[in-house]
Amino acid sequence: MAEIIILNASPRAPKSNSKLYADIFIKNCKEKTEYYNISKNNHTELCGKINGFTDLLFVFPLYADGIPSTLLGFLKTLEKNPPEKKPTVSVIVNCGFFEPAQNDTAVDMVKLFCAQNGFPFGSALQIGSGEAILDTPFRSFAERKIKMLAGCISDGKQRVLKTTMPLPKRIFIRASTSYWLEYGRKNGVTEEEMRTMSIEKF
Amino acid sequence: MKLILSDTPLNISSEISNGIKYIDLSELKIANCVGCFGCWTKTPGKCVIRDDAVKVYPLIAASDAVIYVSRIKYGGYDTVMKTMLERAIPIQMAFIRLLDGETHHVQRAVALKKAVIIAYGDTGEEEREVFRRLVERNAKNMSFKSWRIVFVNENETESAVREAVKEWRK
Ligand SMILES: Cc1cc2nc3c(=O)[nH]c(=O)nc-3n(C[C@H](O)[C@H](O)[C@H](O)COP(=O)(O)O)c2cc1C
Repeated sequence: MAEIIILNASPRAPKSNSKLYADIFIKNCKEKTEYYNISKNNHTELCGKINGFTDLLFVFPLYADGIPSTLLGFLKTLEKNPPEKKPTVSVIVNCGFFEPAQNDTAVDMVKLFCAQNGFPFGSALQIGSGEAILDTPFRSFAERKIKMLAGCISDGKQRVLKTTMPLPKRIFIRASTSYWLEYGRKNGVTEEEMRTMSIEKF
Repeated sequence: MKLILSDTPLNISSEISNGIKYIDLSELKIANCVGCFGCWTKTPGKCVIRDDAVKVYPLIAASDAVIYVSRIKYGGYDTVMKTMLERAIPIQMAFIRLLDGETHHVQRAVALKKAVIIAYGDTGEEEREVFRRLVERNAKNMSFKSWRIVFVNENETESAVREAVKEWRK
């Protein structure tokens, strides 16, 4: 039996998409799971909890084409405080852009960490249009792949899974524009204001 | 304007002339991005966290040549540089467009740049390859019209920066 510790490395973990992806994972996983948010001050404490788990699942967003600095900081701590027996590391990474492949480099970075520190790497799920997909009729696309990932971890399989909204890119762009306009509207900010070219002075 | 952004103090005052701005990120106070999207949807173009990062991203936007100096960790920028790059998203808009067939954000008033990345530390070929792919992706989101990566050992960093500044003068 696998036992999976799930660590959310989103800088807004309690209110993140990553949390929602982790929830779906937990619901669809037959194994015992334990879930934690990575926060500013709990890195060493979390490293101490990893002992005894067969698998470690990181759930995080793509930030500036790579792993978010929250995850970078955590990995640096884990490098200094490794568990006695190293679990297999898998990831769910989601990004705002449409193409799941924009997450490739972030997965490579986690793989590099694993290779440099003797952790086996398991499977990866790369989600494109991850900021919004769960609020759309395409939610089931993400759910299905998360379920597959849970199966891969249970079976000790190494796979790379990818998903995004099943839309032509131009339609995705239109939908994302509406999404962001609605975000602004809730804050009382107009499209014109959101489209300002000016950046504060230095 | 030209910008040198470094995660480590550099002794390069003799290289700095008019039109070149040098920033040592390690002496600034820069918190993590909290992913609130305020810079796109609440106060467009401005970060809601009012620390030193707000003095840096306008410079990034205005520069048509940049030298980024960073230690490499796990095939990416180490924490100091990465934290700043994440805090620079106010210079983009929320809105998405197609660029070379891929989805990317619409930029605000951001100059297209020639970028030199001085990547220092003890890196192997595999790690360098991941970093090359990272910078290739950054180019699309950070308005690099051309870029060059110089991998160096830590003790060669300063001389690599001097070389790159000399190139600017040509
Ligand atoms: C600072 C910052 C940088 C980001 N960089 C990227 C990026 O390079 N590519 C991308 O597709 N999405 C990027 N995003 C969007 C997030 O990946 C996306 O909103 C994701 O759904 C956030 O997940 P979370 O809620 O779990 O944190 C970025 C978001 C922020 C706040």
